[in-house]
Amino acid sequence: MQRDSIANTFRVAILLCLVCSIAVSSLAVGLRSTQKDKKDEFRQQNILKAGGLWPTGPDAGDVDTNALFEEHITPVVLDFSKDTLTKVWNPGAPEIETEVALRDQKLSQLIDGTDEMGSDIAGIRRREGFATIYEVRDGDRLKTLILPIRGYGLWSTLWGFIAVDFSDATDDAASLKVEGLTYYKHAETPGLGGEVDNPAWKEKWSDRQIFDSEWKVRLEVAKNATGNYQVDALSGATITSNGVSNMLLYWLGEPGYGPYLKSLLEKNDGRANP
Amino acid sequence: MAEQTPKQILLDPILESNPITLQILGLCSALAVTTNLNTSLVMAVAVTLVTACSGAAVAFIRKQIPSSIRIIVQMTVIASMVIVVDQFLQAYAFSLSQKLSVFVGLIITNCIVMGRAEAFAMKNGPWLSFVDGLGNGLGYGVVLVIIGFVRELLGSGKVFGMTVLKTVTDGGWYVPNGLMLISPSAFFLIGLLVWLNRTIRPNQIEKE
Repeated sequence: MQRDSIANTFRVAILLCLVCSIAVSSLAVGLRSTQKDKKDEFRQQNILKAGGLWPTGPDAGDVDTNALFEEHITPVVLDFSKDTLTKVWNPGAPEIETEVALRDQKLSQLIDGTDEMGSDIAGIRRREGFATIYEVRDGDRLKTLILPIRGYGLWSTLWGFIAVDFSDATDDAASLKVEGLTYYKHAETPGLGGEVDNPAWKEKWSDRQIFDSEWKVRLEVAKNATGNYQVDALSGATITSNGVSNMLLYWLGEPGYGPYLKSLLEKNDGRANP
Repeated sequence: MAEQTPKQILLDPILESNPITLQILGLCSALAVTTNLNTSLVMAVAVTLVTACSGAAVAFIRKQIPSSIRIIVQMTVIASMVIVVDQFLQAYAFSLSQKLSVFVGLIITNCIVMGRAEAFAMKNGPWLSFVDGLGNGLGYGVVLVIIGFVRELLGSGKVFGMTVLKTVTDGGWYVPNGLMLISPSAFFLIGLLVWLNRTIRPNQIEKE
């Protein structure tokens, strides 16, 4: 057969694509479990970092993520429909992953603008009915609550955590502060929106206030940030910055964790287990 | 060009015809990933592997490749190799793969890889093409490591993350050079390397 004939061109193209795709996909399947372990570990690191529990400084190199996580963090499950903690599944066991819940009609709901689900300002379409959230306790007292958040930026959904600091909590909503904010999964432009990973930027979140006294979410990303509610926008990444603001508004607001945080302050952290 | 021995093919691209300092190829990633030695080294290894393996693969099927789709065929082979490298990094060096972010994926568009596939692997056997890819990858890697070393040392006073020059913020004496942490510094350093190279080897200077 002639090398440059049309038939041969098709033959080579099809064969090459087949061989390459089989090689690449079998490798991807083979490495999947190792990659998943690494991703889970990275997620745990981000929970610890959001909660300000990740060691920094010269000896930060060898940290046993799992041990540190077990030592400080208690996962609990929040039922969004009742805004209380629940025991529908054991949060210590392999948790039901949000991605799975979002494909399940029973475990998640469309964000359709009702009071219950709110309007979809974060651009996430569906919200799970139950969320695994993470408590850091100091004896009996709740010190920090680490909440998973996500929302759409410019190219991708950003998945992350915001840690709420309860150490100065009174019955006033304005007493709640941010401990930290981290993202563990996104595909924003490196150098622009990708700067959500920049430690210097993440540091700015610490000690910001979240709510005014009427439980309105005031925390936001803004250009030339002033006051205790604003964090500087990322330069060159207006849409990612707006995405961050919107997801905070959604997740800390009425359809998200707002009512649960409110109940915690009302009960003076008398955490109610059903 | 006279027939080259495998040794020449391997060693020439490191100094004589270095892809970065002579051919000025692959600069984009050389600017982006060289803020410290760790990422420079991983990137160098990744590019070397991809160039060598894709060169060998392209050379192996070079007699079957129809000329009308040869570039696409090369791209497919290279892209597959890059995905393989990326998957391995995600599995075994997760934090590094986070730092390298898009630049691993962008090895696909690294001019060195395509350039060697088109210029060398299409005309030579798999073994020679493998050696050629290895040599060019090493030539790229040597420059990356030099720049990474200088930038990390002057920019943050460290080598491989170990403190060498104690910085003022840590209570030492060294005031780090902030310029070294941003991409333009790599441009200056590559410029200096090109200058040095051409001073030693005047034959590399273009005829007026």
